[in-house]
Amino acid sequence: MDLAYTTEQNMLEESISKFVSSEYDLDSRKQLANSELGYSDEHWQTFASLGWLALPIEEAYGGIGGDLVDTMILFESLGKGLVVEPILSTLVLFGGALSIAGTEDQKQALLPGIADGSVKGALAYLEAEAPSDFNAVTTSAVREGDAYVLNGHKSVVFNAASADHLIVSARTEGDVRDLAGISLFIVPSDTPGITRKDYPTVDGLRASEIALESVSVPLSALLGQPHEGASILNQVINRGILAVSAEAVGAMEVLYKSTIDYTKQREQFDHPLADFQVVKHRLTEMFIEYNLAKSLCMKATMLLNQGTADAQRHVHALKFLVGKSSRFVGQNAVQLHGGMGMTEDLAIAHYFKRLMIIDALFGNANIHLEAFTG
Amino acid sequence: MDIAFSEEDLAFQQRVRTFIDQNLPTGMALWTKRGEWFKALANEGGWDVPKWPKEFGGPDFTPTQRYIFDLEMGKQSTPPQLPFGVGMLAPILMNYGSEDQRDRFLPGIRDGSVNWCQGYSEPGAGSDLANLKTRAELSDDGSHYLVNGQKIWTTLAHIAHWMFCLTRTSSEGAKQEGITFLLIPMDDPGVEVRPIITLGGSHSVNEVYLTDVKVPVENRVGEEGKGWTYAKGLLAHERSGLAGIQSSVMGLEKAKANARKVKVGQGNLLDLASFKHKVGILEAELLALEFTEMRTLARVASGGDPGPESSILKLKGTEIQQRITELNLEAAGIFAAPWGAEAFGPDFAHGATQSYLGGRATTIYGGASEVQKDVIAKNVLGLS
Repeated sequence: MDLAYTTEQNMLEESISKFVSSEYDLDSRKQLANSELGYSDEHWQTFASLGWLALPIEEAYGGIGGDLVDTMILFESLGKGLVVEPILSTLVLFGGALSIAGTEDQKQALLPGIADGSVKGALAYLEAEAPSDFNAVTTSAVREGDAYVLNGHKSVVFNAASADHLIVSARTEGDVRDLAGISLFIVPSDTPGITRKDYPTVDGLRASEIALESVSVPLSALLGQPHEGASILNQVINRGILAVSAEAVGAMEVLYKSTIDYTKQREQFDHPLADFQVVKHRLTEMFIEYNLAKSLCMKATMLLNQGTADAQRHVHALKFLVGKSSRFVGQNAVQLHGGMGMTEDLAIAHYFKRLMIIDALFGNANIHLEAFTG
Repeated sequence: MDIAFSEEDLAFQQRVRTFIDQNLPTGMALWTKRGEWFKALANEGGWDVPKWPKEFGGPDFTPTQRYIFDLEMGKQSTPPQLPFGVGMLAPILMNYGSEDQRDRFLPGIRDGSVNWCQGYSEPGAGSDLANLKTRAELSDDGSHYLVNGQKIWTTLAHIAHWMFCLTRTSSEGAKQEGITFLLIPMDDPGVEVRPIITLGGSHSVNEVYLTDVKVPVENRVGEEGKGWTYAKGLLAHERSGLAGIQSSVMGLEKAKANARKVKVGQGNLLDLASFKHKVGILEAELLALEFTEMRTLARVASGGDPGPESSILKLKGTEIQQRITELNLEAAGIFAAPWGAEAFGPDFAHGATQSYLGGRATTIYGGASEVQKDVIAKNVLGLS
């Protein structure tokens, strides 16, 4: 076992942290979040030129061939800056699904574009009826000659507005909750019959409701084997969980550290707040929660990297623990900042909101605790 | 000891229920006909000011009646009064104000025609409220104070006509001395209100800048330099009012109903042990807290003071409020995220996110939880 980063990994971390500290102060982030696009295309090109977008993509398709640990480092660092660019959607969910299940042609067509920054994607996998359960699919895909025709509605699809392609889960057979019978399709965003309602999200990102009405795609749009989309989705969601957990670890680190800084300089009762034992202990607990989350994030990432049998169990434990610890760290960062923690002018509020949504992504702590305890 | 209500109490309960049935406006009318509701309460014998003593027109409820009254009103989610006038300033005026001040201000407080805000916290005076620096200097002729300084976290200052304000008239001696309680009209040209947008994007708190505001001495409550003593008594009132127990009882029922609407696997969210246990723990704690409040009321009735014990209610009550917002947030799932003009997903989702975010303030304002624990440790347990 070796828990040290490689030289390349250290360089990656350094380059992101440099970018975040020079380009991503709170005001810049607010401007981006409020802009029409919701992020910066210029940043996106920078990410491409720095090789971040090529990181998890196989070398055969213009990538760097990094593993899940590299992605973890990427997301932990992005989490420290609350970066709003659609990296999770494009790289981990869309790109991840292609890497896991794509045919040679599909990979050739899309992966090099992700790596060079010219292609963005999103994963449309949730529906309003059961938003925590990606196996509850009512959207239908019916084969008609040389085409599949999709009908239905997908909910809270992050970054759909900026995506050139969507990966859509639809039912090709079975009942709404059957594991078998879900298939995945690669659908260009401008395919006739797709209507989007775009909206901002509380954590400063963008998402959409998507209606699919007689959306016709060729048979070659099928991603993976027909009816077996659930297992692909599960693998993609696992990677999504690792990525947002790493992001949460980065955000928690910023929160506990900035709360230490604040309580050292804020004086009440003629002492810095950090002099009071109750505050010291709370900060210590925040630090411990952060550390536990970071440990499990590292372990689950390395296990899934190796594909060991107990990796899935660790992913469930991780998502539960990240939900629990990020709630503790977030809430106490606000609490210890007092009234200041409640204002939108401080970065605290924005990390707090992002952590709140990370818990809701890919099933919250309750859902994963159930899965973990079986 | 007897947990059962007496015949009289049961009759009172019936009377409250009938009153609500006959007078509570429903639907949108709840907003448009608020005034009539409060008028009807007043006509019932001071039910609009249930905590006021009889000599000022209150109903003089027994503790059990107060409990029943709050319970029944809470169950029907009757519209609350803004707390600043009726609940916070009025008791101070009754105890320490002049005859003239009571005559001038109590009627407007009672009928809701005059809005008040509380000018206590300052950038350097939060938990350590006595550290406040806003200066009030008495003019040479003794006719008025000249007030300069800044208040912060001033709830509803932007709609208030008046502010009751703690100011410093002397820097001699202990910080708690030299604080004077003034009533300041918000339309004075020296008063500037700037909004603070809080977590969740809402505007209810403000910064209030006071520049050369002339306050006639008639607007000083009680004696110069005694403001801290007056305010401390009021803080106990504020605290017991912040527990929000009945609204939490209702809120928890609502949260359970919301969770039932959320499908998980073959059932709904309430079938999930990880969620159901949180609900159960909250329900048990609420049952206990409700009765703790009853015990506090009983002590007051037998001549005691709500005193430091009211910190228990504030501490536990606000924590429970926050945990209920967590349940709704968890039930909303990923639909907590949409934040545009249009709402998506379950009908409660958007409100769930707002309440969760805004609710973080409840353990900060009115004395942060950490401070409440110090109050209990020092004043109840005798730990200095």
